[in-house]
Amino acid sequence: MNDNRERVKPGEKVFDWLLLLFSGGLLYEASRIDGILPSLNSPGSFPVGLAVIMIVASLIILFSHRYKRRDPELTTAGDEFKAFLAEHFQPHIIVFSVFSIAYLVAISWLSFYISTFIFLAIMFMYYRGGKVVSSLVISGVSIAIIYVLFTLVFRVYLP
Amino acid sequence: MIDTFHYFLMAWVDPHLLLLTALGTLGGIYIGAIPGLSVTMAVSILISFTFAWDINDALALMVGIYVGGVYGGSRTAILLNIPGAPSAVTTAFDGYPLAQRGEAGRAIGLSTVMSVIGGILGTVILAGTAPWLADMALEFAPRDYFLIAVLGLLLVSTLSGKSLARGIFSVALGAAIGLVGMDMVTAQPRLTMGNMQLLGGIHYVVVMIGLFGVAEAFYQLHNLNKVPVKQKVDKIIPPLKMVLKFLPLSMRSGIIGVVVGALPGTGGDIASLFAYDHAKRSVKNPKVPFGEGAYEGLVAPETANNAAVGGAYVPMLTLGMPGDAVTAVIIGALVIHGLNPGPMLMIETPHIFWFTVGNLVLANVFLLIFGLTGIKIFTRVVEVPKAILIPLILVLCVVGTYSINSNMTEVYWMLGFGLFGYWLKVFGFQMGPIILGVILGPLIDNTYRQAMSSVGDSGGQFLLDLVTNPLSLVLTSVIVLVLLGQTPAKAWFNGKLKRQA
Amino acid sequence: MFHSALKTLTIPMAVALATMSLSGQALAEYPERNITGTIQWGAGGATDNIARSLTPHVEEALDTSVILTNRPGGTGVIGMNYVMTQRPDGYNLLYGAENPQLYRLMGLADFGYDDMHTINIIGQGLVVIAAPADSPFDNLAELLEYAHQNPGELRMGGTGAGGLPSTVHAMINAVDELDVRTVTFGGDGPGMTAMLGDHIDFMPLSLAAVGEQIRSGKMKGLAVLTTEEIDALPGVPPITEALPDIDTFLPWGPFWGVFVREETPDDIKQRLEDAYETAVDSEQFQQFLANFGAEPLNLNGEDAQQYLDNWQSVTGWSMFEAGSVKVSPEELGIPRPGAAAE
Repeated sequence: MNDNRERVKPGEKVFDWLLLLFSGGLLYEASRIDGILPSLNSPGSFPVGLAVIMIVASLIILFSHRYKRRDPELTTAGDEFKAFLAEHFQPHIIVFSVFSIAYLVAISWLSFYISTFIFLAIMFMYYRGGKVVSSLVISGVSIAIIYVLFTLVFRVYLP
Repeated sequence: MIDTFHYFLMAWVDPHLLLLTALGTLGGIYIGAIPGLSVTMAVSILISFTFAWDINDALALMVGIYVGGVYGGSRTAILLNIPGAPSAVTTAFDGYPLAQRGEAGRAIGLSTVMSVIGGILGTVILAGTAPWLADMALEFAPRDYFLIAVLGLLLVSTLSGKSLARGIFSVALGAAIGLVGMDMVTAQPRLTMGNMQLLGGIHYVVVMIGLFGVAEAFYQLHNLNKVPVKQKVDKIIPPLKMVLKFLPLSMRSGIIGVVVGALPGTGGDIASLFAYDHAKRSVKNPKVPFGEGAYEGLVAPETANNAAVGGAYVPMLTLGMPGDAVTAVIIGALVIHGLNPGPMLMIETPHIFWFTVGNLVLANVFLLIFGLTGIKIFTRVVEVPKAILIPLILVLCVVGTYSINSNMTEVYWMLGFGLFGYWLKVFGFQMGPIILGVILGPLIDNTYRQAMSSVGDSGGQFLLDLVTNPLSLVLTSVIVLVLLGQTPAKAWFNGKLKRQA
Repeated sequence: MFHSALKTLTIPMAVALATMSLSGQALAEYPERNITGTIQWGAGGATDNIARSLTPHVEEALDTSVILTNRPGGTGVIGMNYVMTQRPDGYNLLYGAENPQLYRLMGLADFGYDDMHTINIIGQGLVVIAAPADSPFDNLAELLEYAHQNPGELRMGGTGAGGLPSTVHAMINAVDELDVRTVTFGGDGPGMTAMLGDHIDFMPLSLAAVGEQIRSGKMKGLAVLTTEEIDALPGVPPITEALPDIDTFLPWGPFWGVFVREETPDDIKQRLEDAYETAVDSEQFQQFLANFGAEPLNLNGEDAQQYLDNWQSVTGWSMFEAGSVKVSPEELGIPRPGAAAE
């Protein structure tokens, strides 16, 4: 058996199934506009059509997996799951995701400038392995530039 | 004639106007470069700002910002893979790979020269053929816009990389995102999941910033500790030989840009997509494949989007109809300053026309100057360590998104699109087709329904019109030819020819 | 002229600096910082133009900066909803058009201008029914006659449910019958462009948008929505010539106004009302309105409320009678036009 066939990435099948599920959800949402079979010229005709296209396309993608194979080293679903975790759930990716979300929440609570400063300072320190002083300085300078550019020059109101 | 010349040169000889145009162009470059800050926004802020000014002063500043802003979008597209404006989306396809090869300086230099060539070509066509071009643009009925949008959709094969199924999925997804919100005809909510914040739709710049900026930031976390590519900064100004080599392509792209720009329903974003597609189809053997850093992939969209500026002025100056969102705001500025933008504008106040033309050329001259200086400092951005760059990119995306509509909900959406985009990217989906769908989806939906309503919902009449109206027939034929040229039908046809031979 | 340009550049900055230093002393005098003005329609539209040319005069009267932001979308629902969820401290103003008066009726939102306090009704636009220059019809009567004989054939440009053309169409249908194909565009501009290319047969438009086109002969006016001919468009017959019964709905037109939250303290409301009254009254703005094709109103307090109520009753009932809305205005407590006088 030759090994020229494309490899399936760990987690890819699950992701593609999720896309199919998402397309199904979209079809349901689209059908609430004008029913599942809207007339040729109605608000619902395009959304339903698009959802159908997405379902067909994701089915084709799923079907194409039959011509691909897993990495030979990953024999069980468990192995694949581990490989998936190792690649995409590295600490610094998780930390960044969590802090990004926390940052957005913080903007509404504190103000934009305070939360941005804290976010930048923490991220710089974390990724640069300490270096507290220089991280604080860079955060401060960045905030100053944003303030001058957005608040003073362009008069954008920031929360 | 002498008057014409006088008005044309007005901005060139008056130091005040000269300074304002220069200021506008410089400011425009930065406004364009920052995702979320748009030229439309800047110009509308300027309206109340320049309220008490002389009309010429205000126009000079606005023209400068417009020209600089359309160009500025390419900066961040090349350096960070975040298009500063929708019309720079295609610039990122080949510009960013160039920066990763250490050629950011060359890429910016080339895109500057090409933008200026496009801008001047657009202005020349505006000056020479405006009334004629405007009449032609009016001929486009809703069904023709529908056909143009469909033609644009065929680009999906160009943009989707290896897997066409994934490309088609992405286009449909993008179009669905574009349709979210209140229906234009019936005001019914569509795909809003009952959420009132979504009634106004999802702004396509929100999607763009999320998919390009945030998704890229997350993706880059994988090689956080990789030493940034050292940028070559010695060869910035492209040699004449290189410019001449790409001149035919940039002329063709420029003409695409002016025509698409002159159509009141389409602008620089669609023009640059068409130009990119044209480059990909017409340049058979680029030195580097498209999508991996081909100069051609940079030349075409950059010429087209700046040429579209001249095009957008065509319906505005001849008919008083906006060619795009920016010219719509400029019309507002003329109204506030007591002028009457309309078909009489060129007859009653011809100086506005020639002043604008002269100013556009001047702004392009400044663009060349400002665009080619200071590139070295700009390219340093790519050399900033990822540990500092990535958090800053996220902050920039947040500020940019918030600036669009001052809406925090959109910022959450932006982050959501970023995370979703990251996973799509991981599993081999391309971002280009999604943006294509977001831009073209609503256009197709609107124009299709306008066309259907015009013929009283008769599907038969609609199809008949597509092949009986001369203009529609031309567009339909182009679509059929492109389809035949890229589908299995071609392979089958070629095979048959061979067998016969 | 450059001097004046520099001057306008420095004044806002000086004002900003001054307000910053003043706010430190905790002065209770309103306004002590910048005010945010939210425009419920996009940049370049009629509401936007009015807001941006009025605001500099307001800034002068209030001695502070009013920062304008466009929050378009959902027929204006988005922008209005934003202002209604901000703190009622007088630092968030809404620049709106007529649409919120129909939100409840059309089921777009469960609020309207009744839920806000009116600072000023700035002015009212005139409406013209326009057709391409080479149209076979010279006035509305001819068009109606053709439409009666060939129902469902003429193409009317529209801007969607709740937009101006649909309201005018409803008014005509309340007193006559006009069966046409409605082609919906994203706004006045795209609709007029389509009309210049003969892709639609007629479209009701605001005078501000279409005046120049008619004056230059690229389009012609079939009727003006008034009872008498107007100076701006000589030769265009009033709509009552073709449809005398429509008289009960007139005068009618789109309007623009400034609003704050109802809970705002009374002294701040008063301060704003005074400032806007002065600003709208300024000679330069009056000249702008005339040039723009709009009729100045400058109403506040009781007069403004009366204007809003009357507008809502006329529009709501005409739409209901034409079958454009299903909810009866009665259910929402909107009296019939003229009922108040009886």
